[in-house]
Amino acid sequence: MSESRKVYGLGAEFESAAALMAAAEKVRDTGFSHWDVHTPFPIHGMDKAMGLGKSNLSAFVFVGGFLGFVTGIALVAVPSLFLYPMIVHGKPYTWATLPAFFPIIFELTVLFSAFTAVGTMFAMNQLPRLHHPVFNWDQFKRFTDDGFLMVIEARDAKFSETRTKALLEEIGAKNVTLIHD
Amino acid sequence: MSHSTESSNLIEEHFDPAASRRLSSLSFAVSAIGLLVSAYGLFASREQFAFSWLFGFVLVFTLCSGALFWTILHHATDSEWGILIRRQMENVASILPALAVFFLPLLLLCAPILWKWWDKAPGVDPLLDAKAAYLNHTFFSIRYVLFFVGLGGVATVLARRSIAQDEDGSAKHTYAMRNAAIVGLPVFGVCLTFAAVDWLMGLDYNWFSTMWGVYIFAGAAGSSMALLVLIVTGLKNAGYLKAVNLEHYHVMGKFMLTFTVFWAYIGYSQYMLIWYANIPEETIYFKIRNTESWHYLSTFLVAGRFFIPFPFLLFQSTKKKPKVLCGVAAWMILMQIVDIYVIVLPSLHQTGISPSIFDLASLAAVGGAAAGLYFRRLSASCLFPKRDPRLAGSVNLHN
Repeated sequence: MSESRKVYGLGAEFESAAALMAAAEKVRDTGFSHWDVHTPFPIHGMDKAMGLGKSNLSAFVFVGGFLGFVTGIALVAVPSLFLYPMIVHGKPYTWATLPAFFPIIFELTVLFSAFTAVGTMFAMNQLPRLHHPVFNWDQFKRFTDDGFLMVIEARDAKFSETRTKALLEEIGAKNVTLIHD
Repeated sequence: MSHSTESSNLIEEHFDPAASRRLSSLSFAVSAIGLLVSAYGLFASREQFAFSWLFGFVLVFTLCSGALFWTILHHATDSEWGILIRRQMENVASILPALAVFFLPLLLLCAPILWKWWDKAPGVDPLLDAKAAYLNHTFFSIRYVLFFVGLGGVATVLARRSIAQDEDGSAKHTYAMRNAAIVGLPVFGVCLTFAAVDWLMGLDYNWFSTMWGVYIFAGAAGSSMALLVLIVTGLKNAGYLKAVNLEHYHVMGKFMLTFTVFWAYIGYSQYMLIWYANIPEETIYFKIRNTESWHYLSTFLVAGRFFIPFPFLLFQSTKKKPKVLCGVAAWMILMQIVDIYVIVLPSLHQTGISPSIFDLASLAAVGGAAAGLYFRRLSASCLFPKRDPRLAGSVNLHN
């Protein structure tokens, strides 16, 4: 039955974090783009070894935060200065009393930034999803314990079942396994 | 993985002694001119001299205290990133004991002019009588000594241990510095807070703000990090500290951003609470500073200390451009000058800004002397703690 299922990619195990890092550098230099590593803990410098650039998340968060800032100003200024000008606590209604509204402007900036950050992060990671092909790989659960794993996806242009497997074995991988969808 | 524990293979760097002598003589010469003009002011216009000198003194004091804060924080949190540039923080902080001398003219000759409670007899003002246990000549003088013993002591211990480690490379100095820093944190907090209360809040003994100490601290820490950026860049441009790279600039830029935001947060909170509560003895501080021509300077401070540097420091790309970061750093130090100016001088010129040659003279006198002492220390030891056991971690820094 497994023959009829599509191939998702190749899973490989490595001995240690250092071996995985060295392997990642080689896979990066080979030019693969759809691949990932899975480890029990964050490895310092792995992003560089994998050739990952800076995430675009911060740009989205900036836009979100700026929108919150503008919304905050509009929300306090329009009613208080134009629609329903009212003297509260003996403070006049001019732009000079804007400091009274700073907490609201600040909170909305933070709130919008946080929502944008979480929302964009989910969207970028294509979450939520209930299942992923890598779970079909028995060894995958070891990445929460003692496994240093690498998965190269079949949709990568450079992927070939035999040659990629040979490459992985050449750079020190153990138990290179085919993962099906 | 990149944090290797091997030796860093750095060649020790010593600042050229001749250049150090030349720079320190130049600084002392500037200081001497400032001192001469200030001495003239002391006799010709003592009121102006007193406030100008307090301005110059407090400005340099905050910059040096900020450097001490970063040194203490570095050891107390067991940091690795800044070991390469730690020696420069130590060098700036080590000026602190000498600064005690510059406070003496105020204490001995100008105290009744600056601090109005000084000459008030008991029974005249019930508000002052209630504070007599704190605001009296003896305790004030004792506190002055304690501030400099506390801050200067911590700075000296940390600098001496660090230089001793250059000789023997023993890890015991690292542990000793960590312990000294953990003891030094509360000492620093208490000394800086009460120094700010005594010297600045005391300019109007009726006025009080519970956030005053932390407000002064916020300005001190931020501007001191800016000073560190300028010093490190200066040394790099002169061909030293080659191991300092963009990652270090990134960290320093992050701290500048942190304290730009923190200053705005504290400054705003203090303003907001006083403005909204509207209690006369509290609002008097902002009433003076937000009326007449002081209003322009106060507004400029708010814009310049927060709104202008913030967008620059927000982006990672600008923090990794040393030239841009240096521009922002110089601007932040200028804003610290404006900040202290707006704190001190309105107490004298309540009707508006009134610049004086003695403002500049005191800045030259105290700042020049501090710079001279700094340049003398510069060539006295290696430019970085060359045998710190974890130097390699700082050289191979990754954000």
